[in-house]
Amino acid sequence: MASVSSHNELTPRHWLSSLAASERKRLTGAAFFGALAGCHTVVIVTGLAWLIDQLVVHNRSPSDLMLIFAFLAVAVFLRALCQWASEKLSLDASLRIRRKARTQLLDKITALGPAWLTSQQSGAIAAQAVEHIDALDGYFARYHPQLRITVWVPLVILAVVVWLDYLAAVFLLLAAPLIPLFMALVGMGAERMNRDQFAAVARLSAHFIDRVRGITTLQLFGHTQAAQQAVWVASDQYRRLSMRTLKLAFLSSAVLEFFSSVAIAVVAMYVGFGLLGYIEYGPAPSLTLFSGLAVLLLAPEFFQPLRTLSMHYHDRAAALGAAESIVNTLNESPVMRDTSPTTTKTDNALVELEEVQVSYPGRGVVMGPLNLTLKQGDVVAVSGESGSGKSTLLSLLAGFIGASHGECRHAATNQVAWLDQQPCLLQGSLADNLRLADPLASEDAMQTALKRAGLIDVVNDLPHGLDTPLGERGVGLSGGQAQRLALARVYLSSAPLVLLDEPTAKLDEATEQAVVAALIDWIKEGRTLVVATHHPAVIKAANRHFKMTHGQIEEMPV
Amino acid sequence: MRDIYRQFLPWLRLLTRRRRAFSLGALLAGLTLLAGVALLGLSGWFITASALTGIALALGIPAILDVYVPGGGIRFFALLRTVSRYAERVYNHNSVLALLADLRFRVSLDNFYLRALMPPLVALLGSAIMVLFVALWLPYVALLMAFVLGFLWLVATVGFSAWGWRQSHHHVGDQEVLRHLVIDQVQASAELTSYRSDQWHRGFVDAHEQQVLHNQRQVGNKQSLGNAIVAAVTSLLALGVLWLAGEVLSRGQVDGPIVVMAVLMALGINEAFSVLPSAFVRLGASYAAVERLNKLKPGASAHSVVSSANASLEDGVIFEGVSLRYPYALSQALSDADFHLSAGKRAVVTGISGAGKSTLAALIMGRLAPTQGCVNVLGVAPTALANTQRAEHLAMLTQHVDLFDASLAENLLIADPTASDERLWQVLSDVALADWVERLPKALDTAVGEKGQQLSGGQARRVALARLMLRDPQVVILDEPFASVDTMTARHLAASLDRWLADRTVIYFIHQVDQPDLLPHIDYHWHLDAGKLGSEAN
Repeated sequence: MASVSSHNELTPRHWLSSLAASERKRLTGAAFFGALAGCHTVVIVTGLAWLIDQLVVHNRSPSDLMLIFAFLAVAVFLRALCQWASEKLSLDASLRIRRKARTQLLDKITALGPAWLTSQQSGAIAAQAVEHIDALDGYFARYHPQLRITVWVPLVILAVVVWLDYLAAVFLLLAAPLIPLFMALVGMGAERMNRDQFAAVARLSAHFIDRVRGITTLQLFGHTQAAQQAVWVASDQYRRLSMRTLKLAFLSSAVLEFFSSVAIAVVAMYVGFGLLGYIEYGPAPSLTLFSGLAVLLLAPEFFQPLRTLSMHYHDRAAALGAAESIVNTLNESPVMRDTSPTTTKTDNALVELEEVQVSYPGRGVVMGPLNLTLKQGDVVAVSGESGSGKSTLLSLLAGFIGASHGECRHAATNQVAWLDQQPCLLQGSLADNLRLADPLASEDAMQTALKRAGLIDVVNDLPHGLDTPLGERGVGLSGGQAQRLALARVYLSSAPLVLLDEPTAKLDEATEQAVVAALIDWIKEGRTLVVATHHPAVIKAANRHFKMTHGQIEEMPV
Repeated sequence: MRDIYRQFLPWLRLLTRRRRAFSLGALLAGLTLLAGVALLGLSGWFITASALTGIALALGIPAILDVYVPGGGIRFFALLRTVSRYAERVYNHNSVLALLADLRFRVSLDNFYLRALMPPLVALLGSAIMVLFVALWLPYVALLMAFVLGFLWLVATVGFSAWGWRQSHHHVGDQEVLRHLVIDQVQASAELTSYRSDQWHRGFVDAHEQQVLHNQRQVGNKQSLGNAIVAAVTSLLALGVLWLAGEVLSRGQVDGPIVVMAVLMALGINEAFSVLPSAFVRLGASYAAVERLNKLKPGASAHSVVSSANASLEDGVIFEGVSLRYPYALSQALSDADFHLSAGKRAVVTGISGAGKSTLAALIMGRLAPTQGCVNVLGVAPTALANTQRAEHLAMLTQHVDLFDASLAENLLIADPTASDERLWQVLSDVALADWVERLPKALDTAVGEKGQQLSGGQARRVALARLMLRDPQVVILDEPFASVDTMTARHLAASLDRWLADRTVIYFIHQVDQPDLLPHIDYHWHLDAGKLGSEAN
């Protein structure tokens, strides 16, 4: 799998260009066909000018020129084909790049592991994986090929215009460098304003969220109207701020519009007066209707690629913004994770910790040094105040984090069953939620697991049984039912080591008893248990008892 | 089809309320288009006329061409196009943002207004004007234009929206599912990693992503085909116009410059049509967004029932066989709750979080209606009370305290805008905060920060409690009033609460009663376990 080396700090620009490089063939192809379509345009408009010249000045009839008409029709068709091929190739490239980028991101998230993810907002990561990755589309599908087209097509047009009338070409050449200059001036202003606006919008949306969040409170005090008013004012302010930036941003498109309009006007006047014989110098006297018309039609085409590019310019800004947020995640260093865990030295040991220390960046050493061997059949109760390191110990045993100092060895068959206070429910069917513990589990096995967890009656009452969807689009489980589902997962899995983080906290009495009964079941099955708990019945069932204080373990007599 | 119309209707209606802004915007867009077409057409006419005049003069035939009027026209149209383009952009974006502010939804409807509603209108009207203009000299050519452009318009709008409908309609839901799958991958990462089923779930994510991308590919392919068709048809139209007009010309029935003008105008109209396929192929996505919004709206209106029900202040809180099951929940959040709390009595309800306390509170406050049974507060069903009445008679200290990013005084005045400073200081001393506030450099004007971050958790709860004590309700619900305060302060709070609560009907929600002395004059003690309300030995 593609993964990003951790010592190399990625920049958004660098990441985007490395993605582009991976699809260079398609992107180059898209630019090539786009430029080819531009060449066809040149052929078509000069052909049209020639036909007009023949019809109007030389008084020929259209049927005499049938061949040329047919030739131009073919050129039109070929241009459409090139345009289609260009768009299709860039679309393909964009889709592949987005898939690649998403794979990179998800791989990175997996590599960073659960310990890192607890400090993250899952919504923010989902936004990166969905919206931000999709925001790359415009950059690769439109901006990137157009940038290359913008270099080549005007050059071709310029060459043709030089051949037709060099004075007109000189005018285009003079106007051309002015455009990027103007655009840069406008663009720089817009960028600064954009930054200001970003800050302002952030402040504004904080205010907005503040009011929306507190809307219940406002309603409780009978202020619903005032709350709605506040929200309206906030979004109206947003409008005014956005308009300031947009007004400036639109200036750049107005500049281009101006140049292309003025180009037509100036060329028309020059050609017209030239044809009338008012202009004596340069190539003007040799102008014909053909060359004049061709120059007139080519003038706007000269600016067209740049106009298209400026329309796609915001795609680039959007992609850079999105890339920045994704690259932040890609740059996270996975130091916390054991990349190649070594296996235990003794046969019946599941986990061996030797002089292990865990330290978090910015917080220093939070646990250890610890020496500890977890043998098969051990039932360990871990108690201690919140913040004493119980969860860190469980993460270490599960392999979510690695030792920053010392050695942490896991048994070769290191599948682990995990259960904490808030079991996670996946979007999907009840069966999917069980298969999380064993993707290959049979229906019978799942039924048995549910029965042992005391959930079978509820499931049997459901119209679709195991296939009933859970979560937002399906049925909701109460806290107790969710915990029973988590118990069923442990029953279903054959993992020799079961790690439990406060499994009885925040439960109703019946479920609490079910959890304690399940623990005793697993002990009888010969599984190894490590339970962070304060529950007296659980501590009583254990054969080892660790007390944790400030990241240090003290084994208590049982 | 009628369904689609019905879903879009409320949003189209909103638009008619702003029809002046919309028509002015469309006018500007049309002006930009026509200025461009006219610029090209007039330039072509001028060049051809100049060429013919030049040839005639060279041959010694006397000929005259007024260069000032067309020259001025060309400059005018060039300028008009630039100015109207800029004005159109600014004006239309402004209208859309204003519209969205009105809706209070920042949704992707701007695509609908700016790309699917205005451009086809502009293309149609622009083409019609151009065709009528050309018909002055070349009626048959105008007929060809009308026929081809009309057909192209139908294909680009109706044709492409129908063709891309299914895939683009799926797009919104597809993205939603992908988001959920990624959230699952993150949230369940402890389980997925330990059970070694990480790759199994990634399989779901990848398969769905594959489907999403396939869908996007199809929409994209249709769009690029549409773009190619529009470009080809408008260019072929120009060729066709040239052919037909050339025939008329060779019969001497029209002047050369007019022919050139017609051809160049036909070329120029391409601009109006080239934007259509990409907007219409994605119309299904706008429809999906609208569907969602329409679904959201009725729920919001259910709350604003204004009823004539009047509270009778002598009654307390009565629950008769009350059950509540949330939609799609497997079990009841509250089952068969039965109690009678007469006016002026106090009850404590204990239970773990999730046992049904917030459901019970929501039923009393009239924010939820029971699925079964009857809730009676102050002699009426609380859902039947108007919002203002509810706010007047019922008050609640929520578990999660909301303070606003404003000053301390402003946060307190939410409860009673007419309260004097003296009164504010009094309630602050009731919650044992007066000394602390006095020591603050800005005293009552101290900003509490976003979400009240400048205060500690305990201080924020006490500010909220002080805010509550500025009111004069008959029924009070206090969810964990002593959370995160030390014992000394808790005693102080309990004493002032006891004074303020005299003669009010009170329900305390407490996780566990550790210090009974904090809850004086309790008449009942109930316990909630998994939605069942039971009596506790008092």
